[in-house]
Amino acid sequence: MIRSVELIVGMEVHVELATRSKMFSRAPSPAHPEVYARHGVPGHPGLEPNTLIDPVVLALPGALPVMNLAAVELSMMVGLALGCTIAPFSKWDRKSYFYADLPKNYQISQYDLPLCFDGSVMLPPIGPDGRIDFEALARGADLSTGPRGPQSGTGRGGRAVGIIRAHLEEDAGKLLHEPPGGGPGDGLSYADYNRAGTPLLEIVTQPDFRSADECVVFSQMLRNICRFLGASEGVMQRGHMRFEPNINCVLTLDDGRTVRTPVVEVKNLNSFKSLRAAIEFELREQPRRWEQDRVEFAPGTKTTRGWDDVKLETFVQREKEEAHDYRYFPDPDLPPVVVRDEWRRRVAERVPELPLDRARRYIADFALSPKEAAAITDERDDCLFYEAVIDAAVLRGVERSRAGRVAANFVLHNGQKRANERTRALGATGEPVLVSALGITPAQVAGIIALRESGKLSAAGADELFGLLCSAEPVAQGFAYQTPGRGGSEAPNADPEQVATRRGLIIVVDEAALDAWCDAAIAAEPASVAAFREGNVAALGRIVGAAMKLAAGKADAKAVRERLERKLSKG
Amino acid sequence: MDIATATITDLADAIAHKRVSAREVTGACLDRAAKCEPALHAFLELFEREAMDQAGAIDERVARHEHPGPLAGVPIALKDNICLSWGRTTCGSRMLERYRSPYTATAAQRLIDAGAVVIGKTNMDEFAMGSSCENSAFGPTRNPWDLSRVPGGSSGGSAAAVAAGVVPGALGSDTGGSIRQPAGFCGVVGLKPTYGRVSRYGLVAYASSLDQIGPLTRSVRDAALLTQVMAGADAHDATSSQRAMPDLLAGLEEGVNRLNIGVPRIARSDSNHAAVNEAMARAAVALSDEGAVVREVDLPHAGHGIAAYYLVATAEASSNLARFDGVRYGRRAELGPGDGLDELYRRSRAEGLGPEVQRRIMLGTHALSSGYYDAYYNTALKVRRLIRRDFDAAFESCDALLLPASPGPAFRLGEKTSDPLALYLEDVYTVGVNLAGLPAVTLRAGAASLDGRELPVGVQLVGPAWREERLLRIARMLERALPPVAVAPV
Repeated sequence: MIRSVELIVGMEVHVELATRSKMFSRAPSPAHPEVYARHGVPGHPGLEPNTLIDPVVLALPGALPVMNLAAVELSMMVGLALGCTIAPFSKWDRKSYFYADLPKNYQISQYDLPLCFDGSVMLPPIGPDGRIDFEALARGADLSTGPRGPQSGTGRGGRAVGIIRAHLEEDAGKLLHEPPGGGPGDGLSYADYNRAGTPLLEIVTQPDFRSADECVVFSQMLRNICRFLGASEGVMQRGHMRFEPNINCVLTLDDGRTVRTPVVEVKNLNSFKSLRAAIEFELREQPRRWEQDRVEFAPGTKTTRGWDDVKLETFVQREKEEAHDYRYFPDPDLPPVVVRDEWRRRVAERVPELPLDRARRYIADFALSPKEAAAITDERDDCLFYEAVIDAAVLRGVERSRAGRVAANFVLHNGQKRANERTRALGATGEPVLVSALGITPAQVAGIIALRESGKLSAAGADELFGLLCSAEPVAQGFAYQTPGRGGSEAPNADPEQVATRRGLIIVVDEAALDAWCDAAIAAEPASVAAFREGNVAALGRIVGAAMKLAAGKADAKAVRERLERKLSKG
Repeated sequence: MDIATATITDLADAIAHKRVSAREVTGACLDRAAKCEPALHAFLELFEREAMDQAGAIDERVARHEHPGPLAGVPIALKDNICLSWGRTTCGSRMLERYRSPYTATAAQRLIDAGAVVIGKTNMDEFAMGSSCENSAFGPTRNPWDLSRVPGGSSGGSAAAVAAGVVPGALGSDTGGSIRQPAGFCGVVGLKPTYGRVSRYGLVAYASSLDQIGPLTRSVRDAALLTQVMAGADAHDATSSQRAMPDLLAGLEEGVNRLNIGVPRIARSDSNHAAVNEAMARAAVALSDEGAVVREVDLPHAGHGIAAYYLVATAEASSNLARFDGVRYGRRAELGPGDGLDELYRRSRAEGLGPEVQRRIMLGTHALSSGYYDAYYNTALKVRRLIRRDFDAAFESCDALLLPASPGPAFRLGEKTSDPLALYLEDVYTVGVNLAGLPAVTLRAGAASLDGRELPVGVQLVGPAWREERLLRIARMLERALPPVAVAPV
């Protein structure tokens, strides 16, 4: 009797901001990139419980909150990137409820006057694989415009979605119901307040999503935006982002009537995989539930569910919308946030070009393939590294569009190959090593590009030189390339041309030597020579290969090929 | 030099110039405390060893010809809701009976840095909720002028300690009159600075938008000196003001020319004790004799002050005191098998918090609850704005307002414990100042003879925000014109 089902989802996304200190105290924040290096235990993956605390975090008597300006500015940047208006006046409110992970038994949040509101962001077109369709994106219109709202939705993106608000608050601590470090349960609960007070940006969208793909792509895009803004590291395993989709369905019945199912809010999803699975589960379950209980959408029918990552299903956490009275009132300890135009402008100037805009530009200006553009814009540090290489290459006289093209090859091939090797060497527990953390600087890569462009370096020689200029150990990530690494086979910041010369990588344009290598190759590959002469063009490759091997990196493949063609066609 | 009557100014000068050692002065104060305490119970804890060590360090600095600071070797006491990194900080509550703060409040630290020696923590109404010191979980403090009477509250311990000559100065906190009313009851000077003048970091919050730390002393000059040292911006308190504090001492003796003093009509209540009206008249005459024009002014909304205050203060308190839950520190109830987190909260709070604190938490929780928020809390905020406007209007024609510190002199222990509302009305002349965030100072202006005992009667002067410098000059004019303050006959 249900003819069709249409999905409606609004997203709530919590992003932990990567500030050095917490939202309202000077205690170090667990979401800062350097927190493990500074406060971690060497050899242990996590942080000792209750080490990132101070009187404010623990809500000791007499402690007072003081607003972290950096967190407010990062939130403004995210808000601006999502097309939001920045409130000229917003304030802090206390949300009261008792729980052991909440030290003050109230959370400082923003209730009726959020910092950012009323935004709109373009959802990119989505391919059949559920990922951003970069080809369609490259063809598409300007990202800042486009139809808005669900009515135009097909569930495949390519339109704007509304942002209701983005407000700042503080995260809670964590309760563990088994002894730290494992062991049998002792019936006690343990509280760890390391996370308590971490700045948390809560982004609430309109119910504009029509498919799980759209929700996932939006969330991935949001993660990438936050990473490009430096607002969050976006490491899902560390809980830097949590998703709470509000899901319901419009059921069209056989008689043409439509009914809406009650809204289900799924709490605390911390991976894209579980986000997708939870939405798809509800899309399957909600029509079934309706068929059983006939409960339709109405005020007070919203339920809150959790996600079971093992059974892959949602479960009831709170039946019905309980009249939870949070007794919000303005926090008398904190002055309101007043954002004048001048401040807003200064912050807006710090919002960089967003990743999807960059991808479109790389495709258009540098003739990168959509796949390459996607790969380069996937990691902020590598993307910024890439752009730094281009700028440095232009300074060395390489034309910009050519530099963009060639730099992509070096980042995605010569660089990524080595980054992957190092990641593998670290084993399963290590985080992926980025190209930007190999220890080679953008200026050095640009130097290689210039040598290669002027024909002084073969492809093999360029790759070898790239390897020589990397450091032995990956340098600390996060704009790592700005400080060259140490411990490699060459001194940090070594000049590529000097290294290439010293190592004998510079191509010899010695005509006699070239002739000798070619002649020797022809003599060594009689079968290939015969095949080529019979019209098998591919056979030439084997002879070129033989000559290159003899030249041991000192010859340019292109020159060898031309020389061989000339010699063989003459004969 | 009689240390029991000496002022802070005199003591610091005598110590810095080696006329007396800091250890002698601190020792004398501790002796005096030992003598008075059995009758008074002004202190919850005395730091004999730490205080003598602190004083010894000051003497060493003096011996090395280093500048020991403007409060060199001056013994002071702190109300027990001001955090100190040694001893206990109990707030007069079972909840924090054994609580030790790991840090020191900014205001206290600034006094210590200036050379002050903390000899102990003083008794108070639990979490500063009360006007008699009878709400302390550790027993009441008694008024040094008549041991059958209360010293006022909530800073009753500090007021009694100063009045009894134990310390020349002490810190209190004032949320609705908690410095000024006990200063009046005990016959000492009590100043509540402008809201934001003194950092609240380390002051255990009762009502954050009203709380302010201030001094209780034996002279206006000493109140100015302590305030001068404490005041100023603090990066740990977002509500502390960035304004520079003008020099409170330089022009203190100069008085104010063409002074206009307003006496609010509400001050002439029939329910005032006759001695209060006499003290008001005496103060008015004294100021007139100094050349002031004294005239009546109207504060049209002052009558709603108590109602607005008890909504704003309890609403904030209900939230501020939520942290006392038995989870991280403070009293934790023993749980039985099967008892969960809710039971831990319920029992710890029921055992740890006294009846008045529980009453105010419930009042405040109700005032903030959905459906009542507008009728109670929001209305109270509107009244608060109107009260502030009344004061602004009055200050257009007046330099300061003259008000009683309380409707009557110190009452007897137990006299008002059965009627919380009657006790709330004690605050009628003080709460408006907190709602408007203004500076106000109480000083002794008269006496009441009750049961054959002489009790001090105080008046307060209220000034415009941030004008402590001028307010204290006026207070000094009044102080000069009135008889000198004696030490209570404990």
